[in-house]
Amino acid sequence: MAKKWGHQVKNWMTKHMELPQDVMMDLPRITMIGQIHIYIENHRGLLAFSDKEVRLMLKQGQLLVKGKAFVIKTILPEEIMLEGKIDQVIYVND
Amino acid sequence: MRNQWIYYYTGVVTVKISGQGLERFINNLTRSGIKIWDLKKHGKETLTFKISLAEIKRLRPIVRKSGCKIEFLRRTGFPFFFKRILKNSGFFVGALIFAAVVFVLSNMVWGIEINGADPETEHKIRQELDKIGVQTGKLQFFLEDPEGIQRAITDNLEEITWVGVELQGTTYHLQVVEKTIPEQPEKLGPQNLVATKKAVIVDMFVEEGQPVVEINDYVKPGQLLVSGSIGKEGKTKSVSAKGEVFGETWYKSEVSVSLKTNFDVFTGNEKRKHYLKFGSFSLPIWGFGKNSFKAFETEKEEKTFRFLKWELPISYVEKTHRESEKVMRTYSNDEAVEVAKEMARQDIKNDIPEDATIKGENVLRQTTQNGKVYLLIHFQVIENIAKSYPIIQGVSE
Repeated sequence: MAKKWGHQVKNWMTKHMELPQDVMMDLPRITMIGQIHIYIENHRGLLAFSDKEVRLMLKQGQLLVKGKAFVIKTILPEEIMLEGKIDQVIYVND
Repeated sequence: MRNQWIYYYTGVVTVKISGQGLERFINNLTRSGIKIWDLKKHGKETLTFKISLAEIKRLRPIVRKSGCKIEFLRRTGFPFFFKRILKNSGFFVGALIFAAVVFVLSNMVWGIEINGADPETEHKIRQELDKIGVQTGKLQFFLEDPEGIQRAITDNLEEITWVGVELQGTTYHLQVVEKTIPEQPEKLGPQNLVATKKAVIVDMFVEEGQPVVEINDYVKPGQLLVSGSIGKEGKTKSVSAKGEVFGETWYKSEVSVSLKTNFDVFTGNEKRKHYLKFGSFSLPIWGFGKNSFKAFETEKEEKTFRFLKWELPISYVEKTHRESEKVMRTYSNDEAVEVAKEMARQDIKNDIPEDATIKGENVLRQTTQNGKVYLLIHFQVIENIAKSYPIIQGVSE
């Protein structure tokens, strides 16, 4: 109950104080350049990686990127830059 | 995102890892702050990635923990490149030695060509060249310049009038002009001997012909001395008159000697400076500092290096500063007269033939004016005054 209340406070603060949501709420910030690059900040770890699929852990749920010929250009604890041909970006909520 | 090419200076290793739980392994790496990039999956259980050489050590415990197999595929970047260069250094050393050898050979003397000399003179020239060190296989750097060689040869060999020395690449070309001594005509036609200048006959050696004059006779130029027509009146025959007629001739010489003369002489003190010249820039390599001479003269010697047929813009320059000094020479009046007489004698010797002798000298006039001694000297010289003069048949008969 307390956690949910905290979440609501954060939500209110971002709405009314014009703070960026990704900072306040630990949401991923995804930047894409056409189909060839995808840059994801605020992930929580790599779950699966193949040349056709990348599954990333988020604070809430998972992010699934599908495509072809994936290469991880850079990987840092909270950032990942993926190169290849991106077909789909899917949020998976359990 | 940082630029990955920075890592090429510290070295980059491509790592291949295979096993299960590769994703967990990657997460472990990133969380412990190890930077990896260019991750590629090959099949299901194989992954390749790049890592900085400096972080390889930190990789080991994480690999142990994961239980995956690791393999290093490719090493790129500067440290490995440097290592490879060291390994292949023989190649570079060889190239360097080759260039050095070509450079040395380009600066050697490879041929001496002598044109315009007969074999005897050519042999003598070669001996002379050997003496001053000009031989095939010598480095040009230590030899004299073409002008110096030219001087050495013309000074030491009497057979040649002139020699032109030219350095073309690695070959010295010598163009020789030999002295041609005119051959005496062996058979002489009928001739008389006549006087060349006015003189008083002192002595006569007549080999052939009829002497017309006697000792102590005064003769004028062109006067008949020995006739080529011999025999009695009416039965004359023409022969080639031969012989020597010595006459006393007279020369006058006028000389002047200054009592005080200023000379520039070298004191013998010198300072040498050595430079390497690149284009127009001179780099001093030995002999620094300014000389302390009040007055000096500078001599410059420049030697150019060559490579194959090209002259390099690099040359070696040696500058010699020689200290000079002004010296005043003072003669007394008597000394000046002596010097003037000696000068006059030298002067006369240049004018008279080699077999002539000076019999006596008289000072005709001696004046001292404006710090100079003027002398007019009269010389008596004994010399051969006979000259052959052909008899033209039509005229003589």
